[in-house]
Amino acid sequence: MANQNDAKIVKLGGRIDSNNAAKVEEEVMESLKGTTSAVILDMSDLEYISSAGLRVILRVKKSHPDLTIKEVNTEVYDILEMTGFTEMMTVEKAYRVVSVEGCEEIGRGANGTIYRIDQDNVVKVYNNADALADIKHEREVARLALILGIPTAISYDVVKVGESYGSVFELLNASSFSKILSTRPEKFDWCVEEYVNMLKKIHSTVVPEGKLPDMKETVLDWATFMQDYLPEDAGKKLLSLVNEVPHDNHMIHGDYHTKNLELQNDEVLLIDMDTLAVGHPIFELASMYNSFIGFSELDHEIIKKFQGFDFETGRAFWKKSLAAYLGTDNEKRITEVENKARIIGYTRLIRRSIRRKGLETPEGKKEIEYWKSELLDLLSKTDTLLFSRNELEIAAEKESLSEVLSFIEKHLDDAGCPAKAKMQISIAAEEIFINIANYAYAPEKGKASVKVEINENPRCVVITFMDGGKPFDPTKKTDPDISLSAEDREIGGLGIFMTKKMMDDVKYEYKDGKNILKIEKNI
Amino acid sequence: MNYPKRIDLHMHTAVSDGTDTPAEIIEKVKQAGVELFSVTDHDAIKGGAIIKSLLKAGDPAFITGIEFSCKDSEGQYHILGYNYDENHKAINDVVNRGHGYRVSKLKKRLDYLKKEFGFSFSETDEKSLFALDNPGKPHVANMMVKYGFAPDRQTAIQKYINGFHSKSEYVRPEEAIKGILDSGGIPVLAHPVYGRGDDIILGEDLEKRVKKLISFGLLGVEAFYSGFTDKMIKETLALAEKYDLFVTAGSDYHGKNKMIPIGDTNLLGTGEIPDGLAKFINKISK
Repeated sequence: MANQNDAKIVKLGGRIDSNNAAKVEEEVMESLKGTTSAVILDMSDLEYISSAGLRVILRVKKSHPDLTIKEVNTEVYDILEMTGFTEMMTVEKAYRVVSVEGCEEIGRGANGTIYRIDQDNVVKVYNNADALADIKHEREVARLALILGIPTAISYDVVKVGESYGSVFELLNASSFSKILSTRPEKFDWCVEEYVNMLKKIHSTVVPEGKLPDMKETVLDWATFMQDYLPEDAGKKLLSLVNEVPHDNHMIHGDYHTKNLELQNDEVLLIDMDTLAVGHPIFELASMYNSFIGFSELDHEIIKKFQGFDFETGRAFWKKSLAAYLGTDNEKRITEVENKARIIGYTRLIRRSIRRKGLETPEGKKEIEYWKSELLDLLSKTDTLLFSRNELEIAAEKESLSEVLSFIEKHLDDAGCPAKAKMQISIAAEEIFINIANYAYAPEKGKASVKVEINENPRCVVITFMDGGKPFDPTKKTDPDISLSAEDREIGGLGIFMTKKMMDDVKYEYKDGKNILKIEKNI
Repeated sequence: MNYPKRIDLHMHTAVSDGTDTPAEIIEKVKQAGVELFSVTDHDAIKGGAIIKSLLKAGDPAFITGIEFSCKDSEGQYHILGYNYDENHKAINDVVNRGHGYRVSKLKKRLDYLKKEFGFSFSETDEKSLFALDNPGKPHVANMMVKYGFAPDRQTAIQKYINGFHSKSEYVRPEEAIKGILDSGGIPVLAHPVYGRGDDIILGEDLEKRVKKLISFGLLGVEAFYSGFTDKMIKETLALAEKYDLFVTAGSDYHGKNKMIPIGDTNLLGTGEIPDGLAKFINKISK
């Protein structure tokens, strides 16, 4: 019997049943005489326990409330669990020991490394000492994600790997998107599509309040840390930009790169869930920017080591994914959102480099100076970190029409909108946008915005057009008399008439100097 | 003057380490909506002549190009040359010298693969490598994949070919610049911020480099480049203005060998272009 961190450890072995329970109790109580500190019952050699044995434990617990049971084998654990003992006291299982020597490393993240231990199973080995708490956390969030509809793998066992712990997952014939990208470049477009589909799915998942940490808090910490390293104005601006990002209860993965997406048979699975959080998608984009570009910006070899593909591939993957995520090919808009992501991305990289390498090492100095100069440039020209995936701001002119329509259609396709409704919505959108382009600002120029929302119960599409031009209510226009013959018919007015006919609702309001026209269509 | 909306003056064909033939690249340039282009194979000028012979009326505007890999005691530089007379002896001399260096490097590289890993290729295949205008790592890697020595090109390069290091000979930057100038061309520093490809050189270091090359006769900088951030563009444009240099825009397209699309230069296709680029276009249009 030994002391460990002031706790008294008592080892139990063999069987405890009606035959020997009294004797065991006497021995245990004897050895605990005068002990007021915590007590640990080490059950590594205990093979069997009956109800008589359980009563012994209960009496130990009564005389020594701070009781922990450790190294319990699976059979004994089942009994303790069945009888509710695991709820009454801390019971730790004895962990199966697994070696990863010679195993293929299939992933590496901030908190651990994933190895394939056999054809069907992988183990994620955690880096840190307090791994059991992390494993428990990851398992809980993975379960939460699964319940909320995100396809993921959940660990089914915790094992001991050397000095640390690992969690075991079943992952059959799976290969990561990084592996696909580096070995089968012809699958590039497919990877982008699936990667973005999953990203949209994550970001449209609402998480019950309090279930996941808020990413904004973390980013605020980074921004606060930066105050000592940036000119005062820039520091303040950074902090206020982050502060102005509203609380968002949608899920973000937090480490969404191509090693954390696995193709298993025909199913795409999201893994490495320990960074799961809630927050505005800009925080996710920042972390993606770093994974594909930021981390390797000064040393292109880094991404090859980490992802297996080269810097240009990573950059192209990021750009294409961002374009698909935003539903636009407009380079200016893509760069605008990318720049917002880079502000947070660089903040994180600078902080990381200061903490890991320090301001004085040549390597640290070089990258910190570079990221800082980029960050200052970005801060000087950015007024908000917010962006909206479903809102497009565009010049109110005829030339913008095809972009407006393809933007709307992409959102309709994502929502699985039926072909007929899609066509009707496109016709209506065209009529309205052309009206704005022709009349809102004429003869001056101006901007318009288009926002697409998909609502449930009843499922419908709502598209909002906004412009700052002359007040004009198209719904007021009297309907043309369509009973008249072609010669007698008026030329105008047909567009808005068709819109009203084909949509389920058309609403106009003039507010804060803006024309706001909403069309609604049930789908 | 109406300037071309989309410009890409930096791409590689299969003559060097790209994968598209000159004919394929013309098609892709058209698809990408690029109105002015050049091909800039490493140390090789053959692609330009082929493209000229294939262009038809109404096709995008084309100028001859090249990218020399240069080195001196202070570092490595990629020097682009534009609108030179491809029949001029000066540029052909530099190209031939560069080609000679590459061939001797290829020989050493093949010896290394044979000695270290036992990888050897048939005589015909080796001959085909030496017959290339610009044999480099990707060509050897493709051959290794063909023989099954490596599962894919990436692995071949990373695991095997990159193990080979030798003191290779390079064309010096002043030689390249002189060769381009003497044959009537415009020497331009490629991706100035990235040095030879993946460094980041900014501020005083960048200015020092550019000043030295100007003393050799450099006339322009590639301020618009696929991997550049807004700030890198700004800084390069400031240098161009300060030293009165031409400005160019290029993607560094390599076909399937690098994931860079044609026309990806960070010069937005709005038709608005900076002075240095306008001057360059005026110069080559004369």
